[in-house]
Amino acid sequence: MIRFILADLRRLWLGGAVVVLLVALATALGVAVTLQERSLRLGSARAADKFDLVVGAAGSETQLVLSSIFLQAAPLPLVDGSILTKLSADPRVDWAAPVGFGDSFAGYPIIGTTTKLVAGTTPGFAEGRMFALEGEAVLGAAVNLPLGAEIKPMHGTAETGGHTHAGPAYKVAGKLQPTGTPWDRAILVPIQAVWHVHGLGEEHGHEEEHHDGDGHDHAHEGDEHHEEGGTHTEAEHTGGVAEHVQTVAEQPAPQPPKTAFALGAASSAHIEDDHHGSIDPDAPIVETFGASTPGLPAILVKPKTIADAYRLRQEYRTGSTLGVFPGEVLTRLYATLGDAKMILSAVAAGSQGLVAAALVLVTVIHVGQRRRQIGALRAFGAPRASVFTIVWLELFLLVALGIGIGFLIGLTAAQIGAQMFAAKSGVILPVGFTREDLRLALVFLGFAGVLAAVPALLAYRQSPATALRA
Amino acid sequence: MLSLKIENLAVSFPGLTAPVLAVDHLEIAAGSGVALTGGSGSGKSTLINIIAGLERTRAGHVFWGDQNFADLSEGRRDRWRAANIGLVMQDFHLFPGLSALDNILLPARLSRVATADLVKRAHMLFQTVGLKRPEQHVETMSRGEMQRVAIARALLRKPGVIIADEPTASLDLESGEAVGDLLLSVAADAGSTLIVASHDPRLIERLGRRLSLKGGQIVGDTQAGEMAA
Ligand SMILES: Nc1ncnc2c1ncn2[C@@H]1O[C@H](COP(=O)(O)OP(=O)(O)OP(=O)(O)O)[C@@H](O)[C@H]1O
Ligand SMILES: [Mg+2]
Repeated sequence: MIRFILADLRRLWLGGAVVVLLVALATALGVAVTLQERSLRLGSARAADKFDLVVGAAGSETQLVLSSIFLQAAPLPLVDGSILTKLSADPRVDWAAPVGFGDSFAGYPIIGTTTKLVAGTTPGFAEGRMFALEGEAVLGAAVNLPLGAEIKPMHGTAETGGHTHAGPAYKVAGKLQPTGTPWDRAILVPIQAVWHVHGLGEEHGHEEEHHDGDGHDHAHEGDEHHEEGGTHTEAEHTGGVAEHVQTVAEQPAPQPPKTAFALGAASSAHIEDDHHGSIDPDAPIVETFGASTPGLPAILVKPKTIADAYRLRQEYRTGSTLGVFPGEVLTRLYATLGDAKMILSAVAAGSQGLVAAALVLVTVIHVGQRRRQIGALRAFGAPRASVFTIVWLELFLLVALGIGIGFLIGLTAAQIGAQMFAAKSGVILPVGFTREDLRLALVFLGFAGVLAAVPALLAYRQSPATALRA
Repeated sequence: MLSLKIENLAVSFPGLTAPVLAVDHLEIAAGSGVALTGGSGSGKSTLINIIAGLERTRAGHVFWGDQNFADLSEGRRDRWRAANIGLVMQDFHLFPGLSALDNILLPARLSRVATADLVKRAHMLFQTVGLKRPEQHVETMSRGEMQRVAIARALLRKPGVIIADEPTASLDLESGEAVGDLLLSVAADAGSTLIVASHDPRLIERLGRRLSLKGGQIVGDTQAGEMAA
C-alpha cells in the first residue's frame, strides 16, 4: 500500500509539489504574521521590563517611553533636575537615575546615566568594569567597539546632520552582557559627563581644583559662591527636605535649569550657543544630585514595592511631571497597533481562506483525476478501507507536508525579520512557537484531514463502472 | 462453483431512448464456459459490467448463487467481487508506477491476503502468461504484455468466476492461444465459471456455450456441440 502511494505520488509529483507549495506559502504567511506580532509584543515588553517607572516632563507618554526605553532620538521636554533630587531621597524609592541623551557615536546613542542604573538594569559585565571617571564609558553588548576605544560624542546623529563635539572623548572601560533590549546598542557614560559636554552643570573652578585630588568637595563649595544661581538654589533647598543639605554640599556648582538640554537633532541648533563645555576625563563621578541638577529628559525610578510604584506614579503625574509605567504605555500602544495587527491578521486569514478554497479545488480536481484509479482499485478488489486510506493519506500527506514546510518558512521569515529588527533597534524579538501555534497547526491538519476524506468518501457514491468511464 | 441468473434486466443510460441492454432471462450454470459475441457496440461490455457488479442494476435482478447484487451496497459488492470474481477488463486498468509483479499482487495486498504462497503463484502465473521481466513498470509495456499482466492478476486468487472482456484482442495468434489455454485450464482446475467476451473465433469455439448479442438483445444461445453440427 505504501509502495502504491509512493508510486502514485512520484507519478503525480508536479501536481503534488504545487499543492505543497500552495499550502506552504499560505501557512507561512499566517505563521509569520502571528510570530512576528507576538515576538514584537514580547520583545518590547521585555525591553521595558527593567524600567518600572519613568518620570519625565509633562508631555507625550508614548514619546517618553519610546525615547527612554527604545532610545528613539526625539526632542523631549525636560523635567526639572530637582525632581531627581526629590526622588532619590524618597523613602519609597530604591534608586532613581537620570537618563540623558542626545549624543551619538558611530550610530550608537550615548546615554548619560549612573552606575546604579547600569547595575540595576543589566546582568553584569562581559568584560572590563563600570565607568568610574567622568571620561569613561561602558558599552552595551551590541556596540561593536573594543575596550579602551576612544569615543568622540557627536551631537545628534550623523544622519540628521549632527556635528562632533570638539574636545571631549570617552574611553571604553567595560562592556555589558546582553540584555536583549535597545540599551544593548547604547554607549553608557556618566551623566555628569553629558552635562559637561553640553556646558551644563558646569563647575567653573573644577579644572584647577581637581588637581589637588581630595579637594573635590571644597571645589564645589567654592563654586557655589561664583554662581549666580547659587543662592537661589540654596533658598529652594532649605524649603525642601532637610537631609538634602548634605547632598547639596557635594554638588557641582548649580546652574539654573533654564538651559534646555539637547535631545536629538531637532533641538541641536538651539543648544549651539550654550555649547561650550568639555569633560574632564579624570574627574571622579558624582552621583548624588542636588537641586542644582540640570533639567533631564527622563528619570528612571526603581520603587521599593508595587504599591510604592503606583503611589509614586500618581504623585508624579501632576503639574509639570509625567510618571509612566512603560509596560502600561506599551500595552496601550499595542491596543492602538491592534488595529494594524487586525489588518495583518485579516490578510493572513484571507490568504488562509484562499488556500482553503484552493485546497478544495485541488481536492475536487484530484478526485476527478483519480476517479478512474479509484474505480479500478475497487473493480479489482481493493477493500473500502484501503481505498479510503490511499486516497486520504495521499492528499493528507501533501497538505501536511505543506503545513510543515509553511511553518518552517514562517519561522524563518519571522526570525529574519526579528534579526533585521534587532540589528536596527537592539530589541531582541523572541521568535518561537507556543502552544497556541500547535493548536493552529492542529486546526490546519484537522481541516486538511477532513478535506482529504471528502474524495475518499465521494468515491463510493458511484459504481466502479461509472468511475472507470471518467 | 457459482451459477448466474439474470431476470428482466434492462440497462439504459440517460439521454438514450432504448435500453443498451435488455435481458429477460439468462442462466449460466456453475463451472460452465460461455462466450459473449456480437458486433462492436452490441452490449458485451455492458453485460460484463453488470454481471461483475461493476454497474448497479436499476431494473431487474442479477443473482450469483443466492446472492442478489441489488441487495448489496457499493462497498459490499466490491468485497464480494474481490472474493469471487477474477476480472480482465477491456482497458486492463493496470496501475502505472508499479512493476508488473506488484500489479498482479496489488489487489491481494490491499485485501491483506498476499501470503507467501500467493506471491509464489504470482511468479508462476507471470511465467505462464509468457512474461519475462517481473520488475518492469507496466506503463512501459506493450499492450499485449499489459493484457497478460491483467490476466495474471485476474487468475491470482483462483476465483470462482472468471470474467474477461476481449482477453486476446491485443495478442498475436500464438500468444492468444496460450492465453486461451491458460484461462481454460485455470477455470477447469478450479471448476470456475468462465465468461469471455470476444471477437476471436478460435477462443470462442473452445468455450462450451456461445451467446450472441445484437443491439443489446441476446439473439443467439448455442452450445458448442450444436455449432459443430
Ligand atoms: N455510459 C454510457 N452512456 C451512454 N451510452 C453508453 C454508455 N455505455 C455504453 N453505452 C452504449 O451502449 C452500447 C453498448 O456498449 P458496450 O461497451 O457494451 O459495447 P461492446 O459490445 O462492448 O462493444 P466493443 O466490442 O466495441 O467493446 C454502445 O452503443 C454504447 O454507446
Ligand atoms: Mg466492449
